[in-house]
Amino acid sequence: MKLIGRTLLVAQLLFLIGPLLLLALTALSAGETLEFPPDGLSLRWMARVFEIESFRASFMTSLLVAVASTVFSLLLGLPAAYAFSRYTVPFGEAIRLFLSSPIIVPGIVVGLALLDFVVVPFALDPIGALLVAHTALLIPYSVRVVGASLAGLRVDIEEAAVLLGSTRLGAFRSVVLPNIQNGVMAAAVLGFITSFNQVPVSLFLTGPGVSTLPIDMLAYVEATFDPSMAALSVMLAVLSLIIVFATERLLGLSKYV
Amino acid sequence: MKNIITATLVPTLASTFAFLSLTTAAPARDLSISVYGASQDAYRRLLYAPFEAKCGCKLIVEAGNSNERLAKLEARKGAPVIDLAILPDYSAVYAARKDLIDPIDVSQLSNYTKLYEFARDPIGNHYGVGYTFYATGIVYRTDKISISSWKDLWGPKLKDKLALPDISSSQGPMLLMMAERAFGGSDPAFSTGMDKVAVVKGGVVSFYSAGTELVQLFQQDEIWAAVTGRFNWPLIKRLKLPLAWASPSEGDSGGMNVMVVTKGSKNRDLALQFMDFWLSTEVQEKLAAERIDSPGNAAAQVAPEAAENLTYGEDNVRRIHLVRPDIIDQQRAGWVNTWNEKIKP
Amino acid sequence: MSSSSRPVAGLIAPAFCFLLICFIVPVLLLLSTSLQGHAGWSFENFGTFFQSTLNRRVLWTTIRLGVLVTLSSVVLGYIAALSIVDLSAGNRGRVLGLTMLPLMISPVARTYAWLVLLGQAGVLNDFLQLLGVTQQPVRFLFTETAVYLGLLQLFLPLMILSLVSALENLPPDVVTAARTLGAGWLTVFFKVILPLTREGLIIGGTLVFTGSITAYITPAVLGGSRVLMLETLLYQRVHLGNDIKTASVIAVILVGLSFVANYVIRKLSSRKT
Repeated sequence: MKLIGRTLLVAQLLFLIGPLLLLALTALSAGETLEFPPDGLSLRWMARVFEIESFRASFMTSLLVAVASTVFSLLLGLPAAYAFSRYTVPFGEAIRLFLSSPIIVPGIVVGLALLDFVVVPFALDPIGALLVAHTALLIPYSVRVVGASLAGLRVDIEEAAVLLGSTRLGAFRSVVLPNIQNGVMAAAVLGFITSFNQVPVSLFLTGPGVSTLPIDMLAYVEATFDPSMAALSVMLAVLSLIIVFATERLLGLSKYV
Repeated sequence: MKNIITATLVPTLASTFAFLSLTTAAPARDLSISVYGASQDAYRRLLYAPFEAKCGCKLIVEAGNSNERLAKLEARKGAPVIDLAILPDYSAVYAARKDLIDPIDVSQLSNYTKLYEFARDPIGNHYGVGYTFYATGIVYRTDKISISSWKDLWGPKLKDKLALPDISSSQGPMLLMMAERAFGGSDPAFSTGMDKVAVVKGGVVSFYSAGTELVQLFQQDEIWAAVTGRFNWPLIKRLKLPLAWASPSEGDSGGMNVMVVTKGSKNRDLALQFMDFWLSTEVQEKLAAERIDSPGNAAAQVAPEAAENLTYGEDNVRRIHLVRPDIIDQQRAGWVNTWNEKIKP
Repeated sequence: MSSSSRPVAGLIAPAFCFLLICFIVPVLLLLSTSLQGHAGWSFENFGTFFQSTLNRRVLWTTIRLGVLVTLSSVVLGYIAALSIVDLSAGNRGRVLGLTMLPLMISPVARTYAWLVLLGQAGVLNDFLQLLGVTQQPVRFLFTETAVYLGLLQLFLPLMILSLVSALENLPPDVVTAARTLGAGWLTVFFKVILPLTREGLIIGGTLVFTGSITAYITPAVLGGSRVLMLETLLYQRVHLGNDIKTASVIAVILVGLSFVANYVIRKLSSRKT
């Protein structure tokens, strides 16, 4: 039984990763197009990525937006998750659903709605608009993931700290936070990846001089078709993989999804 | 954990606010332009950077497909963040109808009279100036078929080997026009063309929306022929396949891209300067030499080798039947509905 | 656990207010255009939408693909998750990292990988012909199969992650205990594993279904014009002449489908217990 399970697991991994390995090989092609087997091997498309000026700017924008909106969503989501795990929240189910709502609305509608009713009336610049949108988008993840790790925490230790004279906030800082830092990191990694690869929500929120990397890549392939886009994706994936492995090693991401 | 949070939080917030204040406190002379995504690094080198050096201002670029950019222009009506936009001619008609753009004072454009006659006032009332145009024609595999008429696309050999533009793409109306002409229709709304496309739909592998998809379709041997804009020809030609641009007896269709100035732009003077610079013979020749845009400036000279990738030369220009932009603007909604009824699977 | 409401309000208010102002209100304002008829509020836009046979067919394709992808990822997800929790802690992390890889790669690049794989001159066709299974190249692109594969690759990781975290909360030895008591694998699954991983299944299932029906790039590239999903229509409506009314109708339908899916998964997973 175990053997069958393992075999099926390997087959699934092959299905999930196989096409991406193929893409990595085509990105190393010396030819002009994405093809397999690649037309000779070279690093020219990898090098080309660094020549495209707009990619650099939009990479920085994406990085800034992803990091900042992850932090904001945690600041907003963590207290809410804590409230759900420690108190009886009136209308709990409804509020939980409310806080998860950004997941179920199609992204392009979110982008349009924010453009019409937030960005234009409040004269937000594109970075501000992207930050607001991505923060909203990530709140469900931080509430849910941090919530999962809070659920595994014993309440009595915290109560004991309070009984022993610690303030609520003090108990939270000294007892709760150290125990859920894995969950917080997991939420951060998931949030970062979600924001960094986000296309539809950002589509209408970018503006002159400010674009995110995935949007820029989309504009690039719509106009020019060469393996540099594959090369860039592969480099980004390797980078994300390193980050995930590093966090996993430190904290154990899997526990808190 | 406290340390981790403060360690990541403080610098993040600090840099965020620093960034926000940087972007809001912009210097007085910025010109925001909205353009297609193609060849941005070449434009920067040949057009943007030289203009910035000349005017002492800074160009802020928004690049992307025209549908999205037009939707953004409309959403920001009244408080535009864009000064000058590049649009297909029919989108410019739409923008004028929706009061998003202002007429252009062409007397301020020193290069205006060098433009081809049809590029000077393509949408009327000087709402836009055509800076480039292109043919829309047929690319095909010479080893599999031969094409001498648009009707050949309806031949049995191309069943399940043909790609056509979707009505939502910029090339859709051109396809309808040539189908209309090839089969002897004369309806300005191209109803014959629409019926003919409906006849062949079962054999169409894909009605594509981005022309770059064709590169992949030819390479994967999914298609042997496709209707596309000349601007995709250099991309498709790079494939190591026997491919040619057809010269059908009916000629080719084509389209034009225009420059427009947004209503309420605070940088009209700069926008016009930039427009004039882009239309200059020198810039148009440079852009043509790198196979980026076919010159709308009739005085621009292009070497044969580059011209082969573009739409250039008296003969080629005469072969093009441009679709009137006001007709596209008028009919588009109706076309999409008919298309959805008759042609979508 | 105290239930004084003051700290609760203070803790939830920031997230609640932020989402209310910066998300819910703008989205509802936009979606309300779906109810604007020619003369005041009405459902006429919905009526017009459902009159079209194309729209009804696209709705059906969307539901069918969404359900298929969700069901497949439930089955595959349990198989994978059960094997993953069996691994040593270190390997578990590595395998999960690899599982998440499709989520980390740009959506554009990910779908182009499938083009290279599924084309008539693609890897899969070469392989099938080499084995002698097929003589002629087979068209996989622009079929529901292609869209199905692309969506499954994208969303299966979410299901696996949800189920793994649910399984990790399972008391150790509960499966072994049930087995020693003579229960068959199927009984163990339905009587022990499923009830205890219900929350993970609901979260994962909703994420996969919602993700599948609102995906844009995957169906647009792999389905082309032959496999249309609601999200493709939505984009078309936004891009052509800014038809926000019809776009909102489609968005309301998509949101409604997500709610229904969540409800159905909840009901189905609890019935067997």
